[in-house]
Amino acid sequence: MNKEQIKQFEEETLVLLKNVMDPEIEINIVDLGLIYELYYDGNKKINIVMTFSTPACPLGETIKTDIIETIKQQHPDFITIIDVVFYPEWNTTMVSEAGKKVLGM
Amino acid sequence: MNGLKTNNAPHSSVVIPHFIFGGCSFLIVALLIILADTNILEAYFNSKIIAITHMAVLGWATMIVFGALYQLIPVVFETSLYSEKLAKITFWTSAASVLYLTYSFWVSAFTTHLVYASVFMFLSLFLFVINVILSYLKSEIKNISSKFIIASIFWLVITELVGTLIAFNFKFNFLSEIHLHYLKIHASLGTIGWFLSLIIGVGSTLIPMFLISHQLKKEKLVISFISINVGLLCLILNWFIFSNSMLTIFCWAVIVIGIISFMSFIYDSYKKRLRKKLDVGMQYTMLAIASIIMPILVSLILLLVFKIEYELLFRIATFYGFSIIFGFITTMILGQTYKTLPFIVWLEKYKNLVGKTKTPLPRELYSNKIAKIQFYFYVLSILSLALGLIIKSFIAIKIGSFSLLIVAILYNINVLKIIFHKVKNSNNE
Repeated sequence: MNKEQIKQFEEETLVLLKNVMDPEIEINIVDLGLIYELYYDGNKKINIVMTFSTPACPLGETIKTDIIETIKQQHPDFITIIDVVFYPEWNTTMVSEAGKKVLGM
Repeated sequence: MNGLKTNNAPHSSVVIPHFIFGGCSFLIVALLIILADTNILEAYFNSKIIAITHMAVLGWATMIVFGALYQLIPVVFETSLYSEKLAKITFWTSAASVLYLTYSFWVSAFTTHLVYASVFMFLSLFLFVINVILSYLKSEIKNISSKFIIASIFWLVITELVGTLIAFNFKFNFLSEIHLHYLKIHASLGTIGWFLSLIIGVGSTLIPMFLISHQLKKEKLVISFISINVGLLCLILNWFIFSNSMLTIFCWAVIVIGIISFMSFIYDSYKKRLRKKLDVGMQYTMLAIASIIMPILVSLILLLVFKIEYELLFRIATFYGFSIIFGFITTMILGQTYKTLPFIVWLEKYKNLVGKTKTPLPRELYSNKIAKIQFYFYVLSILSLALGLIIKSFIAIKIGSFSLLIVAILYNINVLKIIFHKVKNSNNE
């Protein structure tokens, strides 16, 4: 895979992750701005750097499982590694325009 | 992963029975209000009203609070519950004790059953206290919300001590003042120390989380914490030792500053919320927060108005208790049930299915239509009962009490619908 193909794959994976919902806020995690970074190494390994809306989020583990399973459905032999960070702290400015529309902001 | 503690939730078998028992207790409270008939309009210390009050605050409110707190300790303390086994034992002993206590009051067994019932109740609540304190000691997080919860636990113990003391005094008659004096202390400790502190502690974490609001001024909560605890401590010491009416008013003002400070924190959270439209759970919650104003105003009347007929004074006192138990506490619990219980059940049933199949949203576990009808009946029942108490109208009391029964039935339908939800996925849909 060349750089352009990798970039395209990463963008497609982000679109795929729009199927993962935050069950409380009822918006997908991409539009909510929870995904900080997503890298594909070109060799079946995806690295995601993400956050939660609050450090003690009771749904944190469930959202992580949802991400891993959603990617596995599309790419069964891929490995997904998720790194959860709380810096920078998530805030409402990270919500996409589509997300703001859903929330009535 | 620093700061992430999402695997600490207790098993649902620890939490769910509290919601079932709480729901049943709410139904019993509604039925007892109907059965109490004209007793509701009598003095607040008649045995029927005392029985209903204890069923409401212990069987209904405290049981739900226990269940919710077991689930929320991982969120607020960021650690797991110390012992799930102890929590289960606490549930059964508390459930039996509260039924025995309510029965003792209802049949006016003040010198016989009440002593034993109050001791059982005290011991049951103490098991809960031990579990929460040991969980707190495990926790590395000592934020303002967790301090509120620990303070509320302290006040719960004192409330129960005074309550048990009153029960013993019925049999052995050793206290220097009349029962009503200690009843006032017992009630203030329970409502301000236990319920208010706990609701602020849990609410200051959960409400901004559910409203999705950030960058709030935590200093307001610190002011609230200091004011409420210092004010209540002074008030209780004053009532026990000095009985100075000016000091009582001063303590009242200090506590009110704390309450207003908390309300201001919630108002900031409401203004900065991400989700503009409130769901039914948050509508209840916001109504509960706004309704704190009512007991503040009524308590001011009780403090400042001296020349008043006893009959009216007693009715105002009943209304004061009603405005706290139903206006504030019950409204908050009804709302937060719809915010927490669906998640508890959803997590249990769908955590292994997410990503593999399409799962429903937690709010889809209950009927929003029933929740909305329940809300309207609840407003009707509160307004009718309040009116009935104020103008001494038995018809209004009847309308209010039957509306409350409808609320309790609808609430239980939705609670059972959530608890017994059958897993839906693409294979069995």
